[in-house]
Amino acid sequence: MSYFFQLVVSGIVVGSIYALSALGFVLIYKSSRVLNIAHGQIIAAGAFITYALTVWVGIPIYIAFGMSMVITFFLAMSVERIFLRRLIGEPIISVIMVTIGLMSILDGLIYLTPFGTENFSFPPYLPTTPITIGGVSISWTQLVGVIITFSMIAGFSWFFKKSTIGISMRAVSDDQMASMAIGISVPKVFGLAWAMAGLSAAAAGGIIGNITGLNFDTLHAFGIVVFPVVILGGLDSIQGAVVAGIIMGLIQQFASGYLDGNWGLNGTGEVMPYIILLIILLFKPHGLFGIHEIERV
Amino acid sequence: MKEKNLSKWTILLAAICMLTLPAQALSGEVYKLGLSLAITGPTSDAGNPYSKGVEDYFSYVNDTKMLGDDKIECMIRDDQYKNDVTKRNFEDFLDQGIVFYLNYSTGSTLALKKDFEEEQIPVLPASFHAGNLVDSNYIFLPIASYSAQMIGLTEYVVKNHKGGTPKVAMFIHPSAFGRGPVEDVKKAVAAGLDVEIIEVVEHGKDLDNTAMLKRLSGKGVQYVLSHTVQSPVATMLKDASSLGLVASSFGEEGKITFLGAHYTGGNDLVALAGDSAENFYWTTSYIVTSEPGEGTDLQLALATKYNRDEKAANSHNYANGMMVAQVATEVIKRAKSKGKEINKETLYEELLGMNGDNAFSPKTTVGDVTFSETDHAGVDTLQLYVVKDNKFMSEGSPFIPEYTSKIE
Repeated sequence: MSYFFQLVVSGIVVGSIYALSALGFVLIYKSSRVLNIAHGQIIAAGAFITYALTVWVGIPIYIAFGMSMVITFFLAMSVERIFLRRLIGEPIISVIMVTIGLMSILDGLIYLTPFGTENFSFPPYLPTTPITIGGVSISWTQLVGVIITFSMIAGFSWFFKKSTIGISMRAVSDDQMASMAIGISVPKVFGLAWAMAGLSAAAAGGIIGNITGLNFDTLHAFGIVVFPVVILGGLDSIQGAVVAGIIMGLIQQFASGYLDGNWGLNGTGEVMPYIILLIILLFKPHGLFGIHEIERV
Repeated sequence: MKEKNLSKWTILLAAICMLTLPAQALSGEVYKLGLSLAITGPTSDAGNPYSKGVEDYFSYVNDTKMLGDDKIECMIRDDQYKNDVTKRNFEDFLDQGIVFYLNYSTGSTLALKKDFEEEQIPVLPASFHAGNLVDSNYIFLPIASYSAQMIGLTEYVVKNHKGGTPKVAMFIHPSAFGRGPVEDVKKAVAAGLDVEIIEVVEHGKDLDNTAMLKRLSGKGVQYVLSHTVQSPVATMLKDASSLGLVASSFGEEGKITFLGAHYTGGNDLVALAGDSAENFYWTTSYIVTSEPGEGTDLQLALATKYNRDEKAANSHNYANGMMVAQVATEVIKRAKSKGKEINKETLYEELLGMNGDNAFSPKTTVGDVTFSETDHAGVDTLQLYVVKDNKFMSEGSPFIPEYTSKIE
């Protein structure tokens, strides 16, 4: 039975990190209907900035982690201001092409630094002995990752429900024209959405980098790995990203734990999330929490 | 008067001819080589120091006039691990008249195999995939193949395991590179190597390997043999460490001993996995800088001379790149000493003759480089290393896997 609970714990850990990584997509899509293909690169940049501040500058890692979130907050805001603001009102395919171009530019810039081609790891700052209860283990790295993830998700949920700016962002998401009519600055909302996505990406990068080590290929791949989570959650729902992330994490762990190695199966942990995604989308094409928009002509 | 004019013209013509003679004719020949590899993109953590090793060694050859007045010009291009770009680079190198080609990935080596045959050009790839040599006359592996490495590790498990038949799992990269040695290890088992392969796991972009490790442990697996790159191995080692599954001594009962082939180990693994890399067993044919010797002294001196950072200087992939450049230089030197013209054919002949008394010792490897008509794998010898206090230290003497020859 401890095996089952171990898989549950691992699934929740992995799923919550997926949710945090997916949050960046959701925040941008929610306000501006743009799918940011360069999100993986921002995740990687966040992790590398944390490392550089800790190891090269000598700032304690907890402070460096926070500073990295602030830096990516402004970095993502600048990206929106420079590249995407001019595209407001342009066809969505143009905007997506810009984010693809942005991905290549960020790739190129990171390859100019040692992070592009070398491997690093954060200096150890957490106890190495895992916490074990009833035969179920969780490492401190994972536990801290989960705590940060849920704190951030709770913070974002509160922000969107209770704060004036959050409510403005939801209004823009619902109807841009009506929002402008009541005095909300839509460009500012877009900028803020990108900035918040940058902030969550840095947090995700820090957590993933702590688990896998800092390897550019591994880190930026998470921009793609979390795609099924984003789609399953419904693209514009924070709640959806959390639920879908945990579902995907659990499916991966259960498939790997119970299917792999039996009946000649292998790698089901990789493929099962996509199979489940397809099945769910058959019944709920807008994802679990996606908004089904009805257009009346 | 007429005669005087004629001689003036003759002198002028001669002067023009002298001026227009290519500089190389006055200062020696230039031999062109090409290297296409992943300096950026996937696996660039290996490709980047590899390219630096190649570049630095050829600079050293030219700067120290190792070939007299002749020089080597090695064109190095980034292909971002994309086979189509590699092909384009290779074709461009051919247009520029290369006499020797250095390739990189397994995928592109397999994809360009026919091109190498058509062009009849000797090729040294960074891929040690045994399949590169199937139906090929012109590809030469610098060191023992991945299959030989994995068989060597399995043999070590069999020789040092206490108790009955050891249960092993293979943890491999989901590609031709990763899958390559699996069948050969299975053949070795069929030929009498006494292990039970419980599972072959192709990894993905895993954030957590708990399920896999618990499953393997539940099935009694005591050894995991990895053949992939460092990052997934590092994640697996960290997870195993947090689950308390890592054996503190080789073959410790109830725990798992982790082992890996060339591209799983080296300083990058320690950089990624930290203390979790402790007691990881690794095999390669290269000598590492944590075990200093003549070859590593040369490696570190070369890196210092060309202003490389400490990380590149100590990378086994820097040694890897340096070593293929050493082999290419050696065949040019040998052909030159015999008064042969330097071209694809003569360099190919020299590679085939690199055996017996003519074997080549680059000092960067644990054995000599030997090639012949029937042997296209350079260094057959392997060394086992184990991580102790974050450094790879030699474990036992260099060895040649016995079952490699039994499955041929």
